[in-house]
Amino acid sequence: MHGLFRWRAKWWPGVVPLVALWIFAAWSNTAPVEADLTARSTAALKDAVLDKTRIEVDGRDVTIGADAFSQDGRHRAVTSVEAVPGVRLVNDETRLVPEAKPFVWSAERDVVRVTLGGSAPLPSVKGKLADATRTALGGVEVADQMNLARGAPPRFEAAALLLIDQIGKLKDGKITISDTGVTLSGMARELGGREAIAAALKNLPEGFSVAANDVKAPPYVFQAYKDPVAVTLTLSGNVPDNNVHSAIAQAASRKFFSEKVVDNLKPSVGAPSGFAAAVVPALGALSRLSTGTLVVSDREVKLSGDALYDAAAAQIRAGLAKDFPQNFEFKPDISVKPASAPVDPTVCQQLFSDLLGKAKVRFESGRATIDPDSAGLLDRLVEIALRCPTSNIEVGGHTDADGEDTVNQALSEKRAQAVVDYLVKAGLPASRFTAVGYGSTQPVAGNDTDEGKAQNRRIEFLVR
Amino acid sequence: MAYLVIFHWGWLLGSLLLGFAMGWIAVVHRGPSVSNVMARWLAAFVAALVALSLARVVPGRLGYWLDLGLMMFACYLAGCAVGSWLRDWVVSRSRPAV
Repeated sequence: MHGLFRWRAKWWPGVVPLVALWIFAAWSNTAPVEADLTARSTAALKDAVLDKTRIEVDGRDVTIGADAFSQDGRHRAVTSVEAVPGVRLVNDETRLVPEAKPFVWSAERDVVRVTLGGSAPLPSVKGKLADATRTALGGVEVADQMNLARGAPPRFEAAALLLIDQIGKLKDGKITISDTGVTLSGMARELGGREAIAAALKNLPEGFSVAANDVKAPPYVFQAYKDPVAVTLTLSGNVPDNNVHSAIAQAASRKFFSEKVVDNLKPSVGAPSGFAAAVVPALGALSRLSTGTLVVSDREVKLSGDALYDAAAAQIRAGLAKDFPQNFEFKPDISVKPASAPVDPTVCQQLFSDLLGKAKVRFESGRATIDPDSAGLLDRLVEIALRCPTSNIEVGGHTDADGEDTVNQALSEKRAQAVVDYLVKAGLPASRFTAVGYGSTQPVAGNDTDEGKAQNRRIEFLVR
Repeated sequence: MAYLVIFHWGWLLGSLLLGFAMGWIAVVHRGPSVSNVMARWLAAFVAALVALSLARVVPGRLGYWLDLGLMMFACYLAGCAVGSWLRDWVVSRSRPAV
């Protein structure tokens, strides 16, 4: 061993190549060592809950920058990198994500997209909320503008997921969670959507409450279009239930005697009160038009089209508003159809007979009051009478054989007179018309069946 | 340490072989020697570097290069010691007994 002390004095020349070797080793190994330690550190932080993670390796010293969600999370991140073999020093540049106060999260829907904004408590929750939105609204673009922040209330994720399900029921609008208060605004996509959202909000997790729910229902729309070319009445939109549906369908078939009724109505909740009471008289007004459209939107009734003559237009404009329930608003836009060309009396008679062959003027049972359902028919009779201005017309009333002859005679006269009054009110000169009652003296069918009796109860127009 | 050895084993082995060769030559070499005073200064210098390395005060890449250099130097010295001892043993065996 003593020799070692002697010989070591001669070892120095080897240091020169050793230094060269060292420089070469340092030059060629620095980048691989740094890459290797970066990979190992990244792997060590793989399961850590961090945001904006940044790993820089200088030699064997690792600098970690990241947003952590708790002090414990920060500490664990540093410890796990320190435990990586080969790491010499760890520079901790992590920080806690800022705390949001109040903690606000929002989901906003417009025509083309859903925008998620505000704060999410963890990256995993942020991703889950965005995915849930994409799933709930398949095909709609989802813009994720959420930040990460601390301070979320307990059960935030469950509340947000429940609200994401509701955003699909909105046409447009915004849902916001501010701490534990939930605010909703906008317009429901379908009728009943507002009610469905209100019901779902009852299942909000414990601690959350609805601060404001201003979701509006879409307008409750009922439409009817009278097409004179196709001779159809098309009903579309919503009705409250099957009873109202059948009532409206029956009223339509009574009032529109020559048109085919195309019924595209569908039952939906959310009708304004008095819906049927407004729609039925509005259909009556539509039946008096040559062509027209009726739109009932919530409590607004819009009727547009052409009346058959001036007085009818004035009557519809003035008269309909009082037939409606109080809270409905009537907006008529009625013009008058240009008068048809005059015809000679024979053609006039033919037109009367054809029209009265299709439908009959109806009266209240046993009385001389004209049924409102016959207004459309009477307007057409007026229109024909206007086309032969020079001829005189006898309006004949007939009854069936039930009851006493004198009563029937009087009733038939009164009914004929009621029709003449209607014609005079329409602006025709009273001198052209004679009301004649025939009682049951001129039956057109046997009085032994109900059907025959119904045929015998009639009004006839005779051009003289 | 283990990581450094595993990652740089080739370079450390090179240093060891270099030291072995130097130690082998040193026994019969007749060149200039390092004086005792100089040797002490050098030892103090290396001790200071080791202290710096253990204290981890040299930052970043310089710190890494220092660690690498010291490990290679340690291997070199070990190689020198083994080389010299082995050469001395060989020389003393071949010398005829007096």
